[in-house]
Amino acid sequence: MNDLNDDFFRHISSEFNEELEALRRSILEMGGLVEEQLRAALQFYSTQDSSLLSKTDEIEKKINAAEIDLDEQVETLIVRRQPIASDLRLVLAVSKIVRDLERMGDELEKVGSLSLECFMSGSDVGVTEIQQIAEQVAKMLNESLNAFARLDLDLAREIFQREREVDKVYQSALRALATFMIEDPRNIGRILNIVWIARSLERVGDHATNIAEYVIYLVQGVDVRHPAVNQNSFE
Amino acid sequence: METIVSDSMVQNTNQVEGRAVPEKTLGEIQVDNPRMTARNVNVFYGEKQAIDNISLDIGMSQVISFIGPSGCGKSTFLRCLNRMNDTIDICKVDGEIKIDHQNIYDPAIDVVSLRARVGMVFQKPNPFPKSIFDNIAYGPRIHGLAASKVELDQIVESSLQRAGLWEEVKDRLDQPGTGLSGGQQQRLCIARAIAVSPEVILMDEPCSALDPIATAKVEELIHELREQYTIVIVTHSMQQAARISDRTAYFHLGKLVEVGDTKQVFTNPKHELTQDYITGRFG
Amino acid sequence: MTDRTYQRLDPQQAAERVKASINLRKRKETRFLWLGKTAVAIALGFLVLLFAGILSKGIPGLFQYYVTLDVQLDARQLDPSGQLTVESIAGGDFDGAILTSLYEALGNPEGRKAKREARRLISSGSSQRLMSYVLDNPEQLESMVSIQFAVDDDVDTFLRGLISRETPEADRRISDQLIGYIDALEAEGRISYEISDYLFFGSASRDAEMAGIRGALVGSILTLLVCIVIAFPLGVATAVYLEEMAPKNRFTEIIEININNLAAVPSVVFGIMGLAIFIVAFGMPRSIPLVGGVVLALMTLPTIIISSRAAIRAVPPSIRDAALGVGASKMQTIMHHVLPLAMPGMLTGTIIGMAQALGETAPLLMIGMVAFIVDVPAGVTDPGTVLPVQIFMWADFAERMFVQKTSAAIIVLLAFLISMNAAAILLRKKLERRW
Repeated sequence: MNDLNDDFFRHISSEFNEELEALRRSILEMGGLVEEQLRAALQFYSTQDSSLLSKTDEIEKKINAAEIDLDEQVETLIVRRQPIASDLRLVLAVSKIVRDLERMGDELEKVGSLSLECFMSGSDVGVTEIQQIAEQVAKMLNESLNAFARLDLDLAREIFQREREVDKVYQSALRALATFMIEDPRNIGRILNIVWIARSLERVGDHATNIAEYVIYLVQGVDVRHPAVNQNSFE
Repeated sequence: METIVSDSMVQNTNQVEGRAVPEKTLGEIQVDNPRMTARNVNVFYGEKQAIDNISLDIGMSQVISFIGPSGCGKSTFLRCLNRMNDTIDICKVDGEIKIDHQNIYDPAIDVVSLRARVGMVFQKPNPFPKSIFDNIAYGPRIHGLAASKVELDQIVESSLQRAGLWEEVKDRLDQPGTGLSGGQQQRLCIARAIAVSPEVILMDEPCSALDPIATAKVEELIHELREQYTIVIVTHSMQQAARISDRTAYFHLGKLVEVGDTKQVFTNPKHELTQDYITGRFG
Repeated sequence: MTDRTYQRLDPQQAAERVKASINLRKRKETRFLWLGKTAVAIALGFLVLLFAGILSKGIPGLFQYYVTLDVQLDARQLDPSGQLTVESIAGGDFDGAILTSLYEALGNPEGRKAKREARRLISSGSSQRLMSYVLDNPEQLESMVSIQFAVDDDVDTFLRGLISRETPEADRRISDQLIGYIDALEAEGRISYEISDYLFFGSASRDAEMAGIRGALVGSILTLLVCIVIAFPLGVATAVYLEEMAPKNRFTEIIEININNLAAVPSVVFGIMGLAIFIVAFGMPRSIPLVGGVVLALMTLPTIIISSRAAIRAVPPSIRDAALGVGASKMQTIMHHVLPLAMPGMLTGTIIGMAQALGETAPLLMIGMVAFIVDVPAGVTDPGTVLPVQIFMWADFAERMFVQKTSAAIIVLLAFLISMNAAAILLRKKLERRW
């Protein structure tokens, strides 16, 4: 798989190579920002240190700026280079990944502010469930970014597996949270918020799966989204 | 749902002019620190007017491309910049063209020395039917740029290296230049142009006779050369203009319709004629 | 309203119609092909006829009959003062020595008539030959040597079989007695048929056996040299000026028209002009290669100019653009790039023009190169003649031997012309390859 990666940077035009390199760097940086957000949340769940979540705002701003910058890079690349074949797939894939990353950022911002509310009161009801989900999703995000960086189809496959895991964990967490609500109706408000946190985290997982789909498109040129209506499949 | 487009954003949208050729060129004609300037240039072939009141700056160490449909005058304007139009008897040029603040039509300037400062590469590669060495050495020889044979050898070698041709031909400098492939010949012509240390290099559709790989190599060369030279390139390929130029000028029927930063011209042209041409909406 | 009378053919119909027309087309083409082949065959036929005629007459002209005699070289007889110089030898009796050996070979005929007949056997230039022999080989004095002397032209004609024994003696140029002597010498094996050294090394002469083309050849070469030296630079420079530098106005057009017309002017006119201007007005001597060369130069100039202009026009403008683009001036562009590339064409045109000039007779006759010149011209201001004129003069003379020699000279002239044209073709092939 690595040869394809090298191939991307073998155009006769060195400027084109540099532009693609810059694109790749930018998107991985953006992914890193999203990972930072998620890491902050995870650490908060284990240490209860609220200062960790204060940076979330800043990171969110950076993520939005990165989205604008990357969109402009994509536009410039299309205008100037008229990419085709693998170059085109790279540019299209990046443009889609940007959107998914930005959405992840939005969801994680919600997670951050809600977590602060829910778990500051010292009560740790539901923390475990959330932690479980968050850990799985963090792994998915990390794997999806690696899959893109290395154009690793096997890794992409693992992400689909992990999605099913996350689904299970999510479902069981919901059941647990429902039980908590029934046990102590005074907690319903708070537990509901925890449910939103869980949902946001699950959404982040979905976006990571999307990224894995784009990686397959990029490497194999096959569109594996929406299997119900799509002929293509990923073996 | 109400539209959330604010007033400030409306102002940013494209103000499309009517389809008539504008009296005044849209975009920025002037640049800071121009290498060459042209003001109110008119060119006539006998009775027929080929260039109509064009003013334009050529920025230093930049690549500017001239695009436009056939017969729009871009090649004619290019040839004004090094007075190649002098060789055509019925061609009359008026207006002011300056290089480094000197009018190129000033009788004190010898057209021969002007052409050493403003070099030219043509559409069809045209190496002299001499050896590769003599092709490059001819210019420096007639202008007396080398004091000794050693210096001449150095000039030839450095020109070929800068043109990216040295490795390919260093063992056969005495073979005829016409024996090279098309792409190599064109790079040879570029090396020949830079051998006289010009300030500006004019290129008239330099890649139109070349295959895609040779074209890519020449474009890469242009990209490397831009640091040292100012390059003006006429091209029929808008994709090429988008790839290699910093500024783009769109010509239409002898007038300069629009000039500006390349990315802006190709993503958001100011004039409808420009947009029609680059999107292929008229022939 | 659309006109519906034109129906578009479908491919099937079109194919059928094409097929139908093919036979007619093939027939037309075959006919044309045969027409062409016939024309070429006829032309070749005439060419073969021409060459056959010339060669059959001319090749014998390259040979001549010689008689070998043993001559006693008596120093006192041949070089009385003993100094072995041209002057001292002039006083020697070479005729005597030759005649002595001749009479001996004939068995010492008696009587003045017999001796006179015997003397008619041998060429009158034989003493000259003996003189040069002695000067070249002084060590042979006092010994007997075998030397080949040319026979008299009538004897030569007889030996070729062109004078028949059956003709009555009164109608013949050779007497029966002479025939008897000839037979005797033949029996002894003294008569031989050799390549004529007189033809190539002798000069004009009234005696057919001694006549040669050397003088005319040298004269031709000198004249051509003058012609090239004047015509080539002038022609090239004019062509360059007209093509590259002259402004495109009425005046230049008139010049061009005139040059083209001059190429078609009969060459005699140039001769008359040469006579009037150079000889009468300038007072230059007649019959010298210098004047001849100038007249021929004027005649060839239009040809050279026209072919040079074509050669210059054939140089692609991209080369000129490239040179100008690098900063060459107009003159540098012309001298360094256009001229070298046009040179093959120019040279070809020049050589063809020269070949034409070589064969010109009329203009040179007009300036008097018809004089009977014996000495070989040493320089361009010495009187001389040219090969075609020599041929023309020989054609006038009565002796049969001149007929052969004339044809032989024609062969030499043709060989010269063919080699010049071949040189033009080779040159063009060799130089054109380069680009």
